[in-house]
Amino acid sequence: MKLAVFVSDYRLNVDTLDRLTSAKLGIILVQNGVYHATLKENGKPSSLLGKNADYYVLMDDLETRGLGSATIDDNIKVISYGDIVDLIFNEYEKTAWL
Amino acid sequence: MADKKLAFIVQRTPYKSENPKLALTHAISYQTVEILLEDGDTVTPTVCLVGDGVIACLKDQKAMETYGITSTEMHLKSALLVDLDVMVCKEDLDRFGISESMIVLDAEDMGADKKIQIVPFASIVETIKNANHVLFF
Repeated sequence: MKLAVFVSDYRLNVDTLDRLTSAKLGIILVQNGVYHATLKENGKPSSLLGKNADYYVLMDDLETRGLGSATIDDNIKVISYGDIVDLIFNEYEKTAWL
Repeated sequence: MADKKLAFIVQRTPYKSENPKLALTHAISYQTVEILLEDGDTVTPTVCLVGDGVIACLKDQKAMETYGITSTEMHLKSALLVDLDVMVCKEDLDRFGISESMIVLDAEDMGADKKIQIVPFASIVETIKNANHVLFF
């Protein structure tokens, strides 16, 4: 199964994500989930970013929160709402929202 | 003749839950509340950003441009404009690697004299101790 998971919060999602398995996993960081892409607590990146997955982060939600794309790691692709639609229709079979 | 001290403790991230914005709106409303008090009675609110709440003071929030809503940054500036004391926990800023250059420190563009105070957590504990009422958001 090709699964895209929307992560919309900064806390309490990693345990749930650990239990999800799929042949192809995409993690789309939206709303407060975008903090995973930018914040480093005590210098360490979010543990959510350690999975074998394709990572995406929504530019609109970064800008809303005063976060630029300059500090985003190279393995996280900054995308638009249009890109999310393309991912849902072309890249993944199912989506989940955390 | 009495002064009631209120401490608004913001400990959650901005947006989604909108807790920081709610705390700031309540704190700012102290000016309206004083109309209803007896002569000589006053209310002194202090807003303290701790834990994940310190993320609320990141500057250049573009909530109006992207979603047409007032940003938490604008709420913070409005609080400074009405001379509210706003404290931000230094330890939590350091934990997230957020430097002074990344946060809102004043609202000079709106004509406010007040500035955000970056303080050690001990100062926030002192504010809580001295408050008549403590409200967590």
